[in-house]
Amino acid sequence: MSEVKKTVLYDRHLRLTDKSRMAEFAGYEMPLWYSSIAEEHAAVREAAGLFDCTHMGVIEVAGAGAEAFLNYATTNDVKALKVGQAQYSYALDGDGGVLDDLIVYLRGADKFMVVANASNEAKVRGHLAGLAEGECAGMDVTLRDLRDERFGAECLVDLALQGPSSMEILAGLMNAEEAERLGQLGSFCFMEGRVGDIAVLVSRTGYTGAKVGYELFVAPGDAGRLWDMLLERGGAMGLRPCGLGARDSLRIEAGLPLYGHELAGEFDISPFEAGYGWAVKLDKGEFLGREAMVERCDSYDMQVVRLAAAGRAGVRPVRGGDGVLSAEGVCVGQVLSGAKAGERQILLAYVQCGTVKKGDEVGLYYLARNAKHVQQGRLEKVTLGDELSSDLAGEVLRRFGGESH
Amino acid sequence: MIPEELLYTREHEWIRIKDEDAVVGITDHAQKMLGSITFVELGAVGEEVKRQGVVASIESSKAASDVYSPLDGEIVEVNSALEDEPGLVNDDCYGKGWVCKLRLSEPDDIEGLMGAKAYGEYVAKLEEE
Repeated sequence: MSEVKKTVLYDRHLRLTDKSRMAEFAGYEMPLWYSSIAEEHAAVREAAGLFDCTHMGVIEVAGAGAEAFLNYATTNDVKALKVGQAQYSYALDGDGGVLDDLIVYLRGADKFMVVANASNEAKVRGHLAGLAEGECAGMDVTLRDLRDERFGAECLVDLALQGPSSMEILAGLMNAEEAERLGQLGSFCFMEGRVGDIAVLVSRTGYTGAKVGYELFVAPGDAGRLWDMLLERGGAMGLRPCGLGARDSLRIEAGLPLYGHELAGEFDISPFEAGYGWAVKLDKGEFLGREAMVERCDSYDMQVVRLAAAGRAGVRPVRGGDGVLSAEGVCVGQVLSGAKAGERQILLAYVQCGTVKKGDEVGLYYLARNAKHVQQGRLEKVTLGDELSSDLAGEVLRRFGGESH
Repeated sequence: MIPEELLYTREHEWIRIKDEDAVVGITDHAQKMLGSITFVELGAVGEEVKRQGVVASIESSKAASDVYSPLDGEIVEVNSALEDEPGLVNDDCYGKGWVCKLRLSEPDDIEGLMGAKAYGEYVAKLEEE
């Protein structure tokens, strides 16, 4: 393992939280929480939260062939983008395996920006470079890692400002004309403007399920100042810095997939099973992995669902691997991710299609947490069809939640 | 926060020994690492436990962690307040957040446990890594 990296905001994190609350994630030392996960989660739902996402991959794809290249390398229809718009998409390998979920931004004629998960950034970059030199050679496309210092003032890193107060906080730091444009910015649209005196690409996207929320792409050298400026401006409006803990609990509450959990991972979960078939445009023409996607689009028998269970103090938290049982006590799937949201636990689970629907009651089965539980007869792994007794009642929610949808 | 009068394990339990009775809990470092604790599963009164045997399991939304017995003995009391108020472990880990009381089989056999100074150095080293 190479050395753990520090983000450009590392010193600020240490001023805001204890070093023991920093942990390694995707090769970076990141804050898990500053005050508490619950407080930070609530801040995003009720006011606003600020996240260090500078570990995310930011890749520029430019050149006369960029559109055709990305339309081949990703699943959504890149041709549908207008300048100032972004789209959720996937990069697949030739067998249809998901390499990552992405957001593709069109910044200008022949100039795209692709944002990838931190944990997949190197893989995605390598994959795109391989395509550009291999299958897509001759397409006139230039790839640049916009977090590479070599690109100086053109470098961009991501901060996320999410929650109902985020528009007011941001608008207060913009000139009148840009503040008005901000107010009109639709979901998955972005603008390039100034926040204070800092050049920022402001995108109405995010990973929290907040109706109003932005990702702010800024030069690494300005990220610290932007962070300070936002916290200073937003503090009185309830803005809080938020760590990875709340980032996870918010995305789970919203039903958003995390690569390796609700997407790809142990069960090789496809976009269709995850509930994102719309981001795979099978009719747009040829793209890498299309053949496998055509096969998988209507042949899957498992899907991701969102569940709720009691989450007050004293209830054992449900964890990944725990069983999901039908009303009859038959195991129909298992939990992928779980988080506390207020007095509830929200769970994302992988269940057999057709076994449960919104509003249904389900049972939850705790796997053995330690050797003592195993001795007492608890399973270490559930299997579909197991007949088990429920430890905790759950309910099937609609697929997506949080504040939006 | 590391009280002087207690003994400590490498797994971040503390033990307060008085004659053959002992109170066991988890340290401030341990509760900090776990974050907001939402669930505590206590052992059974009357249960015989060996050194390093599980006397409780503590879970937060981010992690699950077993509490090990620092010494051999029998569980004579458990802090059942934790069943409804697991957050006591965060709020007062050396006081109201105690986990269980043991009757020690060999109260003098404290080899392998650390004093406050040694434990403090141990934690400081972990935090450096």
